[in-house]
Amino acid sequence: MTTKTRQITKQIFAKAETVGRPLKFMELCGTHSRSIARHGIKQILPSNITLVTGPGCPVCVTDQEDIDIIVGLAANKIPVAVYGDTVNVPGTVSSLEKERRRGADVNIVYDTTQALVLAKVKPGLVFFGLGFETTAPMTAWAIKNGLIAYSAHKLFPPAMAALLAHKAIKIDGFINPGHVSAIIGTKVYEQFKVPQVIAGFSGLDVLKAIDMLLSQIIARNPKVENEYGRVVKPEGNGAARDLIAEVFRITDARWRGLGVIAASGLKIKKKYREQDAEFVHHDLIGKIKSKIKIKPSACRCGEILQGLIEPRACPLFGKACTPDTPYGACMVSVEGACHIEMTAKLLFDIMPKSNFKRPLKSTGI
Amino acid sequence: MCLAIPGKIIKFNQGQTAIADFNGIRKEINISLVQAKIGDYVVVHAGFAIEKTDEKSAREAYEFMEKQ
Amino acid sequence: MKDIKTIELDQGGGGEKSSQLISLIRKNLKVKSRWKNTDDDAAVFDLAYFPEAKKREKLLFTTDGFIVDPVFFPGGDIGKIAMCGTINDLCVMGARPLGISLSLIVEEGFPENDLLKIIRSINQVSRETGVPIVTGDTKVTEKGKLDRIEITTAGVGLAEKIIANNGARIGDAIIVSGNLGEHAVALLSQRFNYQTRIKSDCQPLIQEIGSVLPYLSAAKDPTRGGLSAILNEMADKARVKFVLAEKNLPFCRETAALSELLGIDKFAFPSEGRFIATVSKKNAAKVLNRLRKFNPSAKIIGRVEKGRGVFLETNLSVLKRIEVPRGKLIPRIC
Repeated sequence: MTTKTRQITKQIFAKAETVGRPLKFMELCGTHSRSIARHGIKQILPSNITLVTGPGCPVCVTDQEDIDIIVGLAANKIPVAVYGDTVNVPGTVSSLEKERRRGADVNIVYDTTQALVLAKVKPGLVFFGLGFETTAPMTAWAIKNGLIAYSAHKLFPPAMAALLAHKAIKIDGFINPGHVSAIIGTKVYEQFKVPQVIAGFSGLDVLKAIDMLLSQIIARNPKVENEYGRVVKPEGNGAARDLIAEVFRITDARWRGLGVIAASGLKIKKKYREQDAEFVHHDLIGKIKSKIKIKPSACRCGEILQGLIEPRACPLFGKACTPDTPYGACMVSVEGACHIEMTAKLLFDIMPKSNFKRPLKSTGI
Repeated sequence: MCLAIPGKIIKFNQGQTAIADFNGIRKEINISLVQAKIGDYVVVHAGFAIEKTDEKSAREAYEFMEKQ
Repeated sequence: MKDIKTIELDQGGGGEKSSQLISLIRKNLKVKSRWKNTDDDAAVFDLAYFPEAKKREKLLFTTDGFIVDPVFFPGGDIGKIAMCGTINDLCVMGARPLGISLSLIVEEGFPENDLLKIIRSINQVSRETGVPIVTGDTKVTEKGKLDRIEITTAGVGLAEKIIANNGARIGDAIIVSGNLGEHAVALLSQRFNYQTRIKSDCQPLIQEIGSVLPYLSAAKDPTRGGLSAILNEMADKARVKFVLAEKNLPFCRETAALSELLGIDKFAFPSEGRFIATVSKKNAAKVLNRLRKFNPSAKIIGRVEKGRGVFLETNLSVLKRIEVPRGKLIPRIC
């Protein structure tokens, strides 16, 4: 353990003891969830601090209807292009991977530039635009350059507001997303009167952020702090935001698990309707929607996405639902809470020296 | 979705693209969202530079990547 | 437009044109050896040729199929990888390869020059290592029924002492013969349009392993599945625990960068010219020095302990389990 890390961990233990009561911090970005797992952060925190995974996994929060629509388009012989994890998300009756095996033209792309190149040889290609303010500008750029897209993009701050308004969960602090913040800046978070720290992705970044949250709590002074100043500027990226505003309009949107959140979705403006799959394939999409029958399921992704329960509490976790045989989105995506829980098995080895009296929690692996 | 990786701008191409060097791996990226010049470090996500960063942070990110 | 000579369906039919193609291939595979009847159904090797052969030598036999895409990549081609793959499989068991069989299935329309380039690559490995191609087969399928070319090699070797994959012992050091994953980097960078100086690490390991053979308690080459698959197999079969140190990870900076850029775990990146071995603590330094003469990036990456599983000690001093890679890994990498 490096000296810096040891020092911060000591500080965290001392401050956690000062606060005394149990604290719940929510990390809001799927990449943070992965970093936390990768570095074993949960294993070196004092037992009164719980880290909860929030709805920061773009694939996980995409609504079932959106998945069914893109799967339906593929099944109807329309070439589609998607980001990696999306192919395995189970829709109501099928998935993109299943359709690909049946002969559908499903293409995995790493970026929208690749999608545009593909569209030249596969005319009519529909790109599945999902993700938050970090990926919306790339979709917008591609739409302006002629790509047809189906937008399931979402805005992050409204989801934070919805989480805070929820009675069932009390969040004592947020670890705010790194790259969403690089786009939207830091001021937009000031509306939430809760301790917040925008953090980078290394183990040390996350620990620093937790230390800063604890200081805010001790000082009873909730504010928005930026630990990731080397990338996130207070004003964010204006060019990216302008691009989003030029191509998209804000609508209400349904999030898996959180339900409908007002003004939280992005749909393509009328001006670009020739590039909007919802316009180009209006009738087909209507047909697909009418066939969707949401079946009741034991899958508890919805509650997991809100941080209400741990993956373990879902009856399917680790049994019917595994990374190889995923039932729900949270298990499919590498940033999903369930996937992370199942694949990031960590064994606690060395404990930092602390004089915190309460016993450290069991590793629970 | 992978981490956004810092890359150093090596050369500008036609239109809105540039070649960025990510600790020895080079790729063409879209530079339309950021004002940058040759030698600047940018953070790249899904093929687009989204923000500028500094050399020290880039080096730290590379060291961190190498040790995982 | 120049007319490129391509392989015709007829050349796989077994008739005149087949004979001509086979002659052309054999003309380019010229390594002298003691094998006889190499134009027969099976090649023959008289064991009396080994006056030094001790009675307890064992015969080893292995095979591998290759469908690598792209066929030509920085640092090699499908021919080179086919030869090295089978030669190395024999070497990591402690054997000296005696001869290789070469089965080619070619798609109609494949450029003849490309086929000859591949054959010459095979011949080059053959010359360098002294391991001959002794028998083979060539088929041609219709266009569209196969993607360009597929190669299957089989090899026989002789070994006095077998280095099994379950020989790791508590207290051993875990050594790699050089930085890993560069074969994957060479291919993936081609496929995804990245530029890098990294070439495939594909190479025969006869000399390297030969230089340290007596000191190895276990050895394997990390091809499909990469480091995580191989370490788990070795630890599991020996019923021990492997612990790696994060500061000694055997990946160069470009490999680490490409892994992050593509979101593919570098622990699953195959290498085609590296091996991993366990060595008793007292011999570790000697083995390392000898290996470094071949590749300066050879290093000790961890230790063998009592227990089970494979772990990485992170920079936060947490032991993190390294699991067998799951799901869709990298297709058509070898």
